[in-house]
Amino acid sequence: MKALFLGNVAADTAQGIRDELPPGLEVVIIADPADLLRTPEAAAEADILVGNHWLADYPPAPRVRLVQSVATGVELFDLAALPKGAAVCNAFGHETAIAEYIVMAMLALHHRFFEIAGEFRAQGSWRSSWVESGAPHGEVRGTTLGIVGYGRVGQEVARRAAPFGMRVLAANRTPRAPDPAVERLFPLADLDRMLPLCDTVALCTALGPETTGLIDARRLALMKPGAFIINIARGQVIDEDALYAELRDGTLGGAALDVWWQYPNAAEPQRRGSRHPFHELPNVIVTPHNSGWTAGMVRRRWDEIAENIRRFARGDALINIVTTI
Amino acid sequence: MKTVFLGNFGGRPGVSEAILAKTTEKIDSTVLFDLDDSQRLIPALADAEIVVSHIWKKDFPEAPRLKLLQSVAAGIDLIDVPSLPAGVTVCNVAGHEQAIAEYVVMTMLAWQHRLLDIAAAFRGGVWSTGGGAGGGPTHGEILGKTIGIVGYGRIGREVAKRAIGFGCTVIGANRSPVADKGAASEIYPLSELDRMLPRCDVVVVAAGLGPETTRLIDAGRLGVMKPSAFLVNIGRAAIVDEEALYNALKEHKIGGAAIDVWWQYPTPAEPDRRGSQLPFHELPNVIMTPHCSSATDGARDRRFGTVAGNLDRFVRGETLNNIVLQT
Repeated sequence: MKALFLGNVAADTAQGIRDELPPGLEVVIIADPADLLRTPEAAAEADILVGNHWLADYPPAPRVRLVQSVATGVELFDLAALPKGAAVCNAFGHETAIAEYIVMAMLALHHRFFEIAGEFRAQGSWRSSWVESGAPHGEVRGTTLGIVGYGRVGQEVARRAAPFGMRVLAANRTPRAPDPAVERLFPLADLDRMLPLCDTVALCTALGPETTGLIDARRLALMKPGAFIINIARGQVIDEDALYAELRDGTLGGAALDVWWQYPNAAEPQRRGSRHPFHELPNVIVTPHNSGWTAGMVRRRWDEIAENIRRFARGDALINIVTTI
Repeated sequence: MKTVFLGNFGGRPGVSEAILAKTTEKIDSTVLFDLDDSQRLIPALADAEIVVSHIWKKDFPEAPRLKLLQSVAAGIDLIDVPSLPAGVTVCNVAGHEQAIAEYVVMTMLAWQHRLLDIAAAFRGGVWSTGGGAGGGPTHGEILGKTIGIVGYGRIGREVAKRAIGFGCTVIGANRSPVADKGAASEIYPLSELDRMLPRCDVVVVAAGLGPETTRLIDAGRLGVMKPSAFLVNIGRAAIVDEEALYNALKEHKIGGAAIDVWWQYPTPAEPDRRGSQLPFHELPNVIMTPHCSSATDGARDRRFGTVAGNLDRFVRGETLNNIVLQT
């Protein structure tokens, strides 16, 4: 049995789970997908494909029965170019780390953490202190958080936010069982009724037809003036132009953006995440799509991937099946 | 009822107005910001029945009619109790503990997630610092970490309540026995602090300042902490030995620190005076803020509500809340 680990993340995964893989499994690691074109036999012979994408012009991989994503999203796999009947599985372990990021970003926005800590370090300014007559900053207690997309990440956020004395609302496409951490769960169709109630909106949806462009100019305008928005989902969930305008004009109070509308590539390793200079806005916390990338998450994810490969090798039922091609 | 709002907190513009807006009884108020203005301080204190201030100095003029000294802060370390006249009730305020608990959780998250560094690098266009889309080293998380609170009171309980939601374990150390340990799993006597510290990933200094706590966190105690430990000081600076902390951070004997309270404060002559004689602001492993962890709109509102409630109670002759001591 052969497993092809394709791409940088998969290459790291292969190293990380080397000792957990079934004996007899032959591991082929191709860190740079461009090399696959020169070694088509690696695709031709693979029973298991571990990676984060597959393109239609890759060499044929007719034997693949398990497509194991190293991430949660599988939208970068061109499933039509992979064999019928193969199981597509994803991996989690990121939800607790991302939930931490969301609560952290929410606290930092309300407490004006970057502004205050930045000025104090750079200039020694006590402007925001009680020592001076500094304007008080905000706190999250007593404010309302709206979670858009109440899946694994959203649920982890709610259980962390509720003990802060916050009101937590959520919106989800499919109905969810009542949850003590959430005061009210809206159908996604009623999102327009939830948004005006929120001091902070956290986007935790998957990217799909219903969520592409979900937060458009009209919905941004429904939010409270001065509200904060946090996006850890996908850039395309928000209208890039409308969000930039709202933040630049101060209609929205601020944002924490971890996911972007465009990504770096080999030719442009420092390519900006947007065609707009979000990084120049003082009220925006910008991070390079790393909210989930804690050491703990990597370990949890590796463990899930290794578990699935062992199950596949034994012929046992797989975990985390997204679809069957 | 003659009331003086005094000093750089009680006498700050806007404070008396905000407090009096919450009172129902009639309060005759005088506002005096500058404690060195003796021309105004002498007559004001001569008549005052209530003083709203977090400061009482040894050399203050006579205050023969004073009955209530209502602080606008929690700590009473700036009140010189022996120089108060007899028969004065000193009250403090709470309502800061929720804001400070938010700060503690925020800074420990920011430290583990390397938020300030990663966000600053990414502002400069660098993707490869966070372990995510752009590669680079992964960062940490607080899941499973142990938080030790030195001085386990209101703040400690509020931190514990929030931190357990993140899958943290919370322990504490306190001088006196703790009746309500809240969500903490274990409270050590302060005398056994050295047994608690080696267990902690995060050490939160939340004690009041007093003889037992001055320089409580010295070189020896910093030395028993984990090399990765993160120290958060929201108590008082003097609880931590300034030079020992600087050296421990510089030499990476502990991982990092969030410092909100300082060994020295600005003066009118030096408004941007650094908070320490040592260049903490040059250390990359320090998160530093200007004594503002409690300075939220909500804490201000809760504190002012407590002060207003006590002024009303005093006028009506009712029992006061938040009594710290009586002279």
